[in-house]
Amino acid sequence: MFRQLKARFGAPVAMAIAGILGIWLILMVTLPQLQMIDYSLRPSLLPAEIGGPKDGWTLINYVTLFNNDIHLSIFFKTLWSSVLVTSLTLLVSYPLAYYLAKTATPGQAALCLLLLIIPFWINEILRTFSWFILLAFRGPLNEILLTLGLIERPIRFLNGDTGVLVGMVYAYILFMVFPLYNAIESLDGNQIRAARDLGAGSLRTHWRIVIPHAKPGIATGCIMTFMLAAGSYAVPALLGSPGSRWFTQIIYNWFFEGGDWNQGAAYAFLLLILCIGFMALVMRLFKVGLADIAK
Amino acid sequence: MDSSVTLDRVVMRFGDFTAIEPTSLEIRSGEFFSFLGPSGCGKTTLLNIISGFLTPSEGDVRIGDASMRGVAVNHRPTAMIFQNLALFPLMSVYQNIEFGLEVRGVDRTTRRRKADELLDLVALGGSGDKPVSALSGGQKQRVAIARALAVEPRVLLLDEPLSALDLKLRQHMRNELKAIQRKTGITFIYITHDQGEALAMSDRVAVMSAGRIQQVADPETLYHRPKTPFVATFVGENNRLPGRVVECHAGLAVLEVPGLGRLTGRCESELSPGQPAALFVRPEHLSPSSAEEETEAPRLEVRIETVSFEGAWRMLEARLVATGDTLRILAGQGEGSALQPGQTASFGYAPDKAIVMADDGSPMLDAETGEIQEAATRPDRESPHVSSA
Repeated sequence: MFRQLKARFGAPVAMAIAGILGIWLILMVTLPQLQMIDYSLRPSLLPAEIGGPKDGWTLINYVTLFNNDIHLSIFFKTLWSSVLVTSLTLLVSYPLAYYLAKTATPGQAALCLLLLIIPFWINEILRTFSWFILLAFRGPLNEILLTLGLIERPIRFLNGDTGVLVGMVYAYILFMVFPLYNAIESLDGNQIRAARDLGAGSLRTHWRIVIPHAKPGIATGCIMTFMLAAGSYAVPALLGSPGSRWFTQIIYNWFFEGGDWNQGAAYAFLLLILCIGFMALVMRLFKVGLADIAK
Repeated sequence: MDSSVTLDRVVMRFGDFTAIEPTSLEIRSGEFFSFLGPSGCGKTTLLNIISGFLTPSEGDVRIGDASMRGVAVNHRPTAMIFQNLALFPLMSVYQNIEFGLEVRGVDRTTRRRKADELLDLVALGGSGDKPVSALSGGQKQRVAIARALAVEPRVLLLDEPLSALDLKLRQHMRNELKAIQRKTGITFIYITHDQGEALAMSDRVAVMSAGRIQQVADPETLYHRPKTPFVATFVGENNRLPGRVVECHAGLAVLEVPGLGRLTGRCESELSPGQPAALFVRPEHLSPSSAEEETEAPRLEVRIETVSFEGAWRMLEARLVATGDTLRILAGQGEGSALQPGQTASFGYAPDKAIVMADDGSPMLDAETGEIQEAATRPDRESPHVSSA
C-alpha cells in the first residue's frame, strides 16, 4: 500500500500519510489495549502500594469470575441471550431481506429501506426509551392487548428478558438486514427460477439455493449482531433492569462503582474472548473465511 | 404419452401493454418446435407462460389433455433450459443433475444411476464429481441439458441456450440438440432470434413479431413461401421493391414499381389492382443478365457499391440506378469475381422466384440497418391509422 501511495503522491506525502496512520493505530488503539491487558493482570492496590512488593503479574482478576456464581451466571446468560437475540434477528431479517432483494419493485424496496433507516437517525438511547414507553405496564401495547381481549391483566414486559430481546432485535436489525440483503441481491434470479422449474417448493429453494448463496451475508450479520448484543449496555439497563442484568453492567460497575479497574479490565477481556470465540465458531459453522465476510 | 402443447386463445397484458395478442397454436407431441422473432416480440413471454412463470391474462395452456390453469411451475411436466443456463454454482455436476430427482424423493442409488446415464447421453461421462465452475462453456451446456432431462419432462423449453457459445460450438450443439431430441422423443420448444438455428433444427417454426404469430410452417415453406412481408424479410435475406398492383391472375401478379416499370412475381393471395404491394426477391435469385437476352425478363440496373467475399460466395451491396434503393445480390464464385465496386451491371430474376405481397402494415426488417421498422415509420407508405389521427 505504501508503494502505491508513493507512486501516486510522491515520497513525502506518502510518508506523512503512513506516519499519521501509524501514530493513530499505535497511540490510540494498540497502546490503550495493552495498558488494559496490563491492568487486568495486576492486583488492585492502594496508590501507595503500586510499584511495591505486592505489585506483580497475576491471574487473580480472571479467577474472580469463576469463583463468583452470580457473575458467572450473568456471563453465560449474556452469552445465551445474545445468541437468542442473534437468532431472532436473523429470523426476522431473512424474509425482509429476501423481499427487498428479490420480490419488491424498486419503488417498494426504496420505501421499505427508508422506513427502516429513518428511526436510526435518532439516538439509540432515545429509541430504547420509546420502547420503554411502548412496553410499559400501563403503556400502549398492554392497552391494545387488553382492549382486544387477548389478555386479562397487563403484562410486565420490562422486568426481565422480554423487553431486552424486543429492544435488541429492533436496535440491531439493520446490521443483519443489510449484509443479508447484499448477499441475496447478488443471487441470479434464474437460479431460483431453475430450482422451482425442477420441482422444488419454496422451502427447499430457500434451503438449497438461497441460503447457501447468502451464507457469507448470514455469517457477517450474525457476527455483527452478536457482538453488538453482547456488548450492549443501554438496552439491558433501560428495558431489563433489574430483572435482567447483562455482563456489560457488571464491567461498568467494577470500573465506576467498585473503582476496581483491574478487575473491570479482566472482565472486559473475558467478554472479548467470548466474542472472538463466537465469531470463530460461526465462521467454522458457515465455512466462511475473513475474506468472505469483508466483502 | 401425449406431450402436445396447446395454446388456447392466450393473451398476455402487462398494464396497458399487450405483450401477446390472442394466440392459438398446437405444438405436436414429440416435435422440435421453434419460436423465432426479434427481441421484444413476445417469444420469451410465451415460453414463460408455458413453463408457468407467468399466468396468461386470458386463455389457457394445455399439455396433453390437461389444462395448466392453476398448476404451479414446480408441478408442471416441463423443464426449462435457461439462456444463462442457471446451473447451481455451489453444487457439483452430479448434484446439479440430481437436484430435480432429490426434490422428487428418489433414493441416492437410483439418482446416481440416472445421472450417469444422462452424463453418457450428453457425452460427459466421468465428469460427475467436478464442480460446475471447472467446466467449459460447451460442457456447462451439456450439464444444463442433462439436469433438465433428469426430471423426465414431457416438454423441454429452451430459451436461446446457444447464444453464449462461439460459432463452431454453436453449430455442433445444434446437431447434438437435434440428436438428443430424436433419441428422447420429448417435445422441444425452442426460443431464438437466430433464424439459422431455427431453420436448421426445427420441424416447425412460428415466426413472431409484436406479440403476434405471423406464420407457422416447416423451415422450407417458411423460406420459400412466406405468408407476410415480415416473414419474407426476417427469415433469410430479401430485397423489397414497393409499388402498386397492376393485375393479378393465375398466380402471377404484375406490379408497377416507380422508376423500375412493371415487375412480375408469384402471388399466393388475391390482390386487387391499385393496391399497395411489394415484390420480394432473394439475393440468391438475382443473376447477371446481358442486354442481348429477351426483353420480357425483368431487368434491374444497379451500381455496385461493395463486394464482400464470404468464401463460397460473394455478397454484393448495390444501388438501383433508377431509385437509389439498396439491392443485395448473392453471386457465386465465377460470376461474382468479375464485378467490382463502382461498376454498373444489370440483374434479372425468374418471375416464379419472386413473391408479390400486399403491404399488410405489419412491421418488417429494414435490409439496410437490420432493424425492425414499424409500418408507421416507413417512408414509402402512408399508414392509414396515422393519417386519420
